[in-house]
Amino acid sequence: MKKVLTALLAAGALVTLAACGGNSDDGSGDSGSSNEKVTLKFQSLAFQKTTVAATKKIVADWNAANPNIQVEYVQGSWDSVHDQLVTQFQGGTAPDIIHDESADITGFANQGYLADLSPYLSQETKDAVPQGVWDTVKTGDGKIIAAPTLLQSYVVFGNSALLKQAGISTTGDSLSWDQLQADAKKLTTGGKYGLGWGLKSPTATVLNLGMNFDAQFFEGSGRDATAKIGDPELEVPKRIHAMAYTDKSIEPTSLTQSGSDVLPGFFAGKYAMVVGGNYAAQQMVEQAPKGLRWEVLPPLKGDSTKQAANPQTLSVPAEGKHIEQAAKFIDYFMKAENLAAVGQGDWLIPTTQAARDAILKSTGGKNGWEQTLAGAGELTKAPFQSVENYPKWKDQIATPALQEYLANKTDLATLGKKLSDGWGQVNS
Amino acid sequence: MTATITAPPETPVRKTGRPKQNREAIFLFLPALLPVLLLSVYPLIRGIALGFTDARAGLNVDTSFVGFDNFAKLLQNDLFWSSFRIGVIWTLSVTILQFVAALGLALLLNTDIKFRGVARTLALIPWAMPPVVVAIMWRLLLHPTNGPVNEVLQTLNLTDQPVNFLGDFGTALPAVIVVGIWVGMPMTTVTLLAGLQGIDRSLYEAAAVDGAGVWSQFWNITLPQLKTVIVAITSLDLIWNFNSFGLVYVLTAGGPGGKTMLPMLFAYNEAFRYGNFGMAAAMGDVMVVIIIVFLAFYLRNRLRSQA
Amino acid sequence: MRTRPVARTLQYAAVVCYLVFLAFPLLWLLSSSLKSPREFAGITPSLLPKDVDLGNYSDALSEQGLVRGLMNSLQISIASTILVLVVSLPVAYALARFRSRLRPVTNGWILVSQVFPVILIVIPLFMILRPLHLTNTIPGVVIVYMVWSMPFALWMLQGYVAAVPRELEEAASVDGAGRLRTIVSIVMPLLRPGLIATAMFTFISAWNEFFFALVLLQDPELKTLPLVLARFVGAEGQVQFGPLAAASVLATVPSLVFFAFLQRRLTSGLLSGAVKG
Repeated sequence: MKKVLTALLAAGALVTLAACGGNSDDGSGDSGSSNEKVTLKFQSLAFQKTTVAATKKIVADWNAANPNIQVEYVQGSWDSVHDQLVTQFQGGTAPDIIHDESADITGFANQGYLADLSPYLSQETKDAVPQGVWDTVKTGDGKIIAAPTLLQSYVVFGNSALLKQAGISTTGDSLSWDQLQADAKKLTTGGKYGLGWGLKSPTATVLNLGMNFDAQFFEGSGRDATAKIGDPELEVPKRIHAMAYTDKSIEPTSLTQSGSDVLPGFFAGKYAMVVGGNYAAQQMVEQAPKGLRWEVLPPLKGDSTKQAANPQTLSVPAEGKHIEQAAKFIDYFMKAENLAAVGQGDWLIPTTQAARDAILKSTGGKNGWEQTLAGAGELTKAPFQSVENYPKWKDQIATPALQEYLANKTDLATLGKKLSDGWGQVNS
Repeated sequence: MTATITAPPETPVRKTGRPKQNREAIFLFLPALLPVLLLSVYPLIRGIALGFTDARAGLNVDTSFVGFDNFAKLLQNDLFWSSFRIGVIWTLSVTILQFVAALGLALLLNTDIKFRGVARTLALIPWAMPPVVVAIMWRLLLHPTNGPVNEVLQTLNLTDQPVNFLGDFGTALPAVIVVGIWVGMPMTTVTLLAGLQGIDRSLYEAAAVDGAGVWSQFWNITLPQLKTVIVAITSLDLIWNFNSFGLVYVLTAGGPGGKTMLPMLFAYNEAFRYGNFGMAAAMGDVMVVIIIVFLAFYLRNRLRSQA
Repeated sequence: MRTRPVARTLQYAAVVCYLVFLAFPLLWLLSSSLKSPREFAGITPSLLPKDVDLGNYSDALSEQGLVRGLMNSLQISIASTILVLVVSLPVAYALARFRSRLRPVTNGWILVSQVFPVILIVIPLFMILRPLHLTNTIPGVVIVYMVWSMPFALWMLQGYVAAVPRELEEAASVDGAGRLRTIVSIVMPLLRPGLIATAMFTFISAWNEFFFALVLLQDPELKTLPLVLARFVGAEGQVQFGPLAAASVLATVPSLVFFAFLQRRLTSGLLSGAVKG
């Protein structure tokens, strides 16, 4: 019996040992008083070298000025952020400052994981961001669950030489979809395509650009939302499809690739234009062959040039021990010069006018910045952002259905039916 | 690993001293017991039970027992069943093709051809590679613009457009299956080779004397002699392939359009993307039942025909 | 058996086909790891890099996460391998030597643990580890790996133990040596090759493991190499093929080296022994 006991103890010790060996999650104390020294984890999703550098510099500057609130930069990734946050929240190991995007965090807010920042954020921050953008990070009952930082819009990039050769002018306030279609057709000659469009993940593009035609996709919010799929919602996929399969001016393989996968084709002159998030500009700067000149075309216009404002966000977990301190850092991050720095690194549009002005000043509006910033005013909240099961609908329904349609495997009516029936299935 | 495939050798029973032996055995088991109970047996049982609850992500959410609700919902869930169908296609194709390819290679390696040592070593390499690396490597190979597979196809004029194998609806599942075969071949080959080497040479000599040709020898000696090994390795391959995750997660993450959404990926998403732990566990329960039924059926048939 | 020349030629042709299928991907990975970024931006690929560029390797190694991932993976794999051996050897011995009631139970567990999809296990595992503060820690992953590599280790080891002639032990016990001493001084030395093979096997499976690590480790500082690599691929933004390929090559080296050792044993003693058994 003694032996048994000893062995049991030994086995127990093993587990305990392992438990003790585990380094504690944060080097800070438990209490939240603001004078005590705390270390905050900031999980950033910045992925382009320039933005990572800009973000790290903000952290370093902050740390130098705030010895009691140290921020530790932790690298996350856009692809896995949602899954990672689910496990982090569940395991109680969420970082103190969470970088994500507005459409992705609605679910977390409804699950009670995100702290209400309205009592903590400074008035200065609150005033700097327009009300329309704040709406994208507010819950139904008025809680602010994040600070919006940067906005993305979808833009058309063109190969200057090829455009000029075809006699296509790129000035003007906007580029209508009809014009885009005509240009792409004109540019499709001799084995080259007018347009390459990386639509491996088509949902975000279709929903955002859908605002051009006033597409709603959803009515209501939270779990009660209903799907609304009609002509305006299907306009963007219909036009892309027509260009790819009727005009044959979009290279069909590009539709199955990611945004960055199509860039080599653009660099090689295989496509005269590509459509992508404006952050692609940074990759062009870094990777384009020396002789290639490219430009950003005016914003796309349907009934309007509106696109969905789906800002990147900074949030704080509700279970976090240092909400107050984390909010202070977010205030600092939101300062014009900081937002301008990360925005410039990512070629994304800061949410505050002051930061936009700063970018315009430092870049002189060159390299497409003028066009990029001009699109900012047209970004508005879209219904899908306040729908709790949007991520699930996006993954399981919309993405497969759109991919299938864009691969010319189904017709428009089937697409519409799938999008709206699918909502019933995932939202049950 | 091969040791795992064949049954552990029977030990002759010693009739004397049994009570003492039992106590000693328990003592030897003890260090392993607590971790195994805590981290394997208990999670298994708990996991099965979880399928009957509405456990989900959220701060301070209560979990309650919901009986067969999850399973009733699953019955309605077309997406789950379509992922199940994909899982079955994947499992069967990979297992069968892998077996055929591996048997061919094992037969070759069992002959007296030159360089078979080198060949054997090379053939084992995929086994040593992390699945994630395998996936990365094949993404490079199958890349539409700078992958060699497309280059070769286009040079031979077999295609005029580059094919995005992993991104195209028609080719994604077959492409993933090829990678699955590639990964699993070494293991199957080594096992079959070991089986082949265990076959008594004199059987062939006797058959040759009787004038049996190569084919007849293969059908009448090799296959029957290998039967146990074949049943063992294909059963294991079936289980492993059905439960595989990392490879496809990195290759396609279930895309395009869910065409490679294996059940494991589907259940993973249900749990760790959408936070429905109870529902995900219910999916796991369904998978277990199917595997067990399938295996029982397969093994019974195989073993009966052997008797 | 004589083989006709035609058949022989066919055999060689078949072997070459197999080897191309099995080895070419690896060659391509190697060559990709030596290509410059500009070469990747081009659209016509070639097997041999135009000019060998080791920059990808230094890029990959300068990527902080990668080196850390490498260290984490090493740490986890070594620790779990040692633990598995320490814990499994006595059990394997008991399984091979005694006909105790625990034997069918253990073998049942070994089988069951192979059949169950990990998704079913990982959720409760997560819930158990959380109150112990073991989620998102290296020790947590180590003990999980230990438990989940045990079935394999046990199965391998009990075969090896059974292969040690019982008479040797009996002779020792006649000489008055206790059970423990017999194990340590007689069985262990004979088991060395088996222990090494089992250890390498456990190491490789821990080194390659992805799923448990994916769920249990969230801190970037704690991530294992496969997780770090998987993150590289995913990024919608830019996939830098060169450094990615270089990192993949680096990630394969340790298990390949181990494998080179293991392979000899696998194809010689172990195989025939196991199959005859």
